[in-house]
Amino acid sequence: MFSSIIQALLNGLVSGTILAVPAIGFTAIFAVLRYPNFAIGSLATIGAYAGWFANLRLGWPLEASFGLAFLGAGIATLAAEWLAVRPLEKSGALMMAICSLAVGIVLENMVRFAFGNEPRGFNVPLMRDIRFGDLRISPQQVENFAVALLLMALLWAALNLTRMGRAMRATADNADLARLKGVQPGTVAAITVMVGGGLAGIGGMLVALDTAADPLTGFRLILSVFAAAVLGGLGSIPGAVLGALIIGMVEELTVLLLAPNYRTAIGFAVILIVLTVRPSGLFGERAG
Amino acid sequence: MSLLINRRRFMAGAAAGTALMASPAILRAQAGPIRIGTLTPLTGSGGLYGPVMANVVKAVADEVNAAGGLLGRQVQIISEDDQTNAEAGVRAARKLIDVDKVNAILGTWASAVTTAVAPLCWENKVFLFTVSGADSITQLPHNGWLARTQPNTTLQGRKFAEFCLEVSGGKRAFFMMPQTPFTQSTFNNFKIAYDKVGGATELLIYDDKKPSLRTEVDQAMRYNADCIFVGGYLTDTTVLLRDLFRAGFKGKIVGPGYSINQKLVESVGQPEATEGAYGMLPSPQEGSNGWKKVADLTKQASPDPFSCQIYDHINLAIMAMAQARDASGQAIRDNVRAVSQGGGEKVDNAVDGLKAIAAGRKVDYDGASGPCDFTDLGDITDVKFRYEQVKAGKMALVRIA
Amino acid sequence: MVNYIIFILVVAGVYALLAQSLTLSWGLAGLVNLGLVGFFAIGAYASAMTTKWGGWPIPLGLLAATVLGLFTGFIVTISTLRLRDDYLAIVTLGFAEVVRLVASNEIWLTGGTDGIAGVPSIVPRAWGQGYHVTMLAIVSVLAIATCALVRHLAASPWGRALRAVREDQVVAAVAGKPVIRLKAQAFSIAAAIAALAGAIYGHYTSYVAPEIYQPLITIYVFLAVTAGGVGRPAGAFLGAYLLIGFLELTRFMAEIVPGVSPVQAAATREILVGLALILLLRLKPNGIMPERNQKAPPSTA
Repeated sequence: MFSSIIQALLNGLVSGTILAVPAIGFTAIFAVLRYPNFAIGSLATIGAYAGWFANLRLGWPLEASFGLAFLGAGIATLAAEWLAVRPLEKSGALMMAICSLAVGIVLENMVRFAFGNEPRGFNVPLMRDIRFGDLRISPQQVENFAVALLLMALLWAALNLTRMGRAMRATADNADLARLKGVQPGTVAAITVMVGGGLAGIGGMLVALDTAADPLTGFRLILSVFAAAVLGGLGSIPGAVLGALIIGMVEELTVLLLAPNYRTAIGFAVILIVLTVRPSGLFGERAG
Repeated sequence: MSLLINRRRFMAGAAAGTALMASPAILRAQAGPIRIGTLTPLTGSGGLYGPVMANVVKAVADEVNAAGGLLGRQVQIISEDDQTNAEAGVRAARKLIDVDKVNAILGTWASAVTTAVAPLCWENKVFLFTVSGADSITQLPHNGWLARTQPNTTLQGRKFAEFCLEVSGGKRAFFMMPQTPFTQSTFNNFKIAYDKVGGATELLIYDDKKPSLRTEVDQAMRYNADCIFVGGYLTDTTVLLRDLFRAGFKGKIVGPGYSINQKLVESVGQPEATEGAYGMLPSPQEGSNGWKKVADLTKQASPDPFSCQIYDHINLAIMAMAQARDASGQAIRDNVRAVSQGGGEKVDNAVDGLKAIAAGRKVDYDGASGPCDFTDLGDITDVKFRYEQVKAGKMALVRIA
Repeated sequence: MVNYIIFILVVAGVYALLAQSLTLSWGLAGLVNLGLVGFFAIGAYASAMTTKWGGWPIPLGLLAATVLGLFTGFIVTISTLRLRDDYLAIVTLGFAEVVRLVASNEIWLTGGTDGIAGVPSIVPRAWGQGYHVTMLAIVSVLAIATCALVRHLAASPWGRALRAVREDQVVAAVAGKPVIRLKAQAFSIAAAIAALAGAIYGHYTSYVAPEIYQPLITIYVFLAVTAGGVGRPAGAFLGAYLLIGFLELTRFMAEIVPGVSPVQAAATREILVGLALILLLRLKPNGIMPERNQKAPPSTA
């Protein structure tokens, strides 16, 4: 029993790390633009298809395909932001959130129109798990895990070590003050949207690598992404990572100890408990 | 407008009451194409299956029209999307029934959609053909207005278990399936068959939206099963088979043909992960050409069972109307069994069937999904199964039995 | 055609009820309830189970649905009211998913994914067209009455206090408004309205099952309210009819486009729905019927 709990936690660590990538994207957009972008699921789907297109149709290696997944989803996010969401800034964050719901519907169905509903698998050899005593780890998932960790490290470095990164953080903390200090909020917003959407795209491709790309790839993911971001505290990048890891592990433990069909429900029960104690999540800023 | 509908209904009823059906007035009132609707999921979680189904029906209608049509009229297919959602499905069915005036709706897929749409059909004298698996569907008070080509869970559960026992040679099976209206009852019947031979089996209901099912697979591995039955749809079965391969599962894998098929081999990607897996789908007798016909129409080496079933729906609907010499839902309801069973000239497509009926011969349709013989409740009486196995990345026929 | 139009109007009436629920919780109290469909489901199940299995008369079933909706709404509020509105949105989204999961998996209680077929109808279905016309009358009267009720509530001192809370709860609290109680009342009444809508819809279509209650329905109601005018009951009412009208219209628009496969036509329909909302938000950001007293500018900056 003990080893199966460790195994479940290990599985949760891997799935949580993959979940962390789109959760970071979601929370980063929230941090700077102050609205929850509900199109994130469709953006992940676009990333999955962009990656698939690069890998299968163009014959690119996976690393380069990740690049196209990032770019494709990032550009789609930016276009949607400029064309649809941004003009509503005056109507408030909730209207922007509702608008992003509509954007999500449009994007998902554009993918469906172009590619149909068939699942599109990647050209990746599947490897058997490596065993350590009773435990097993999938080399592929270790790779995905590494990709996710690398992205987080890059993001951390970009946010902390570059001028633009510091500007982004300043804008997230206090947009007015940042403007006084000469930060260009428009540029910061554009870059955040691009990076946030791009991360969602990579998240979609990471999931599609393990399953297949289809128009609902992102939709299946979003409840867990939202759960992770809220649990960690909306707008907090370390929070999104921690939230994703917790959700990942809680879900796997649910399978083992409670009932596999209640995975999603237990995730939300955890959120409710955490939010009762800390209304803004684990790392959330000011309530209100 | 409502007066017109009532008058037409009244006349149709009156016509059915008398033996003289082909009065010129009625023919004039019903000029124009004969309309049949498909209500399959084109978006939502069933979206993988619905589009192919709609195309199969259109292709059959085209062939019939090219061969001179039905009762001297063209057959027109109107395809609506149920969005894999009962609320949207009911609105779509209303439109098909009241605006397009279809006389039959074909191919409802999700059990919830079928159950929601069925009362509309029987109240409006529209015949409903469905591929849904829930046993409860034929128990509805449909009074003959519904037929289902998907075998019920008593039949399927037993056949699945017998085949698992046979190919694995052992007596421990692990049964993995998402929650659907036929999960519990399929498993119950599966278990009865295992209990009968002193075997053991366990059910795990998983969440089919998850991109990884590793811990679920760990549960299966710990059970030490010699056979795993995977009962989900294509997307989640892809995840499951990949994770079973990673975990190094060595036993047999058996599943329904709507998930274990050529598309699965492609979407899993790694040939070894699907190699040797078995798929089972309802099938006609060996030698019937229906199945091969659907393979041609869908350009798939092994068509999925839902495409096969809707192929049978459209053929049966067309022949039943020809048999009655009347293009109404009532005609389909009253004549579907006259063309599907009870002996006569064996046909496996509507074009041949129409010729035979025109020549005054009795036909007995054997389709792509089975002999299509129905009980009074609308369930199929018996069916053979087509057993396929993935061999060198292709679906290979094991046997039909 | 007439039957189709009657049917569409009944469905639109049910959506109008849902839109009133959302107007109360979101429009007036500022509580974003993305779990609307969960309350819709709870009402449908409560009435279906008590009338079909318990043999209760239908009015009692409807009452049970409304009371259960009120009660669940209250439970959800006490556990979420301290949350910021964006947190609330996501938690309520999870609530609806939990309702769907419980309805699917607790077969002993709900009948599971099979659902409950043959839910008793309010007037005999055997009346044929008369059945649908009577139901249209019932649903329309109910929708109009609810709209009037929400208007009345909005104009009352209670409604003004609620709006004060929506605009700035700190100021409202300083001014002596019982913020938490006001929010809890608004959210619970809104949940009760959604539950009543679910019960009516269940009796009308005679079928209740977990798969009916998907997030799509919540999204549609949000579109209806946004299109009609947030915070304006009459706007939400109008928005619901416009939404269902437009959803049905896209069916015929997609048919005209030549050379597309059925799946492309279906995708086109949904793209049209999304684009229509985006355009509407752009051209009429406050909806077709904006709220009468202008909102204070958002305090996000």
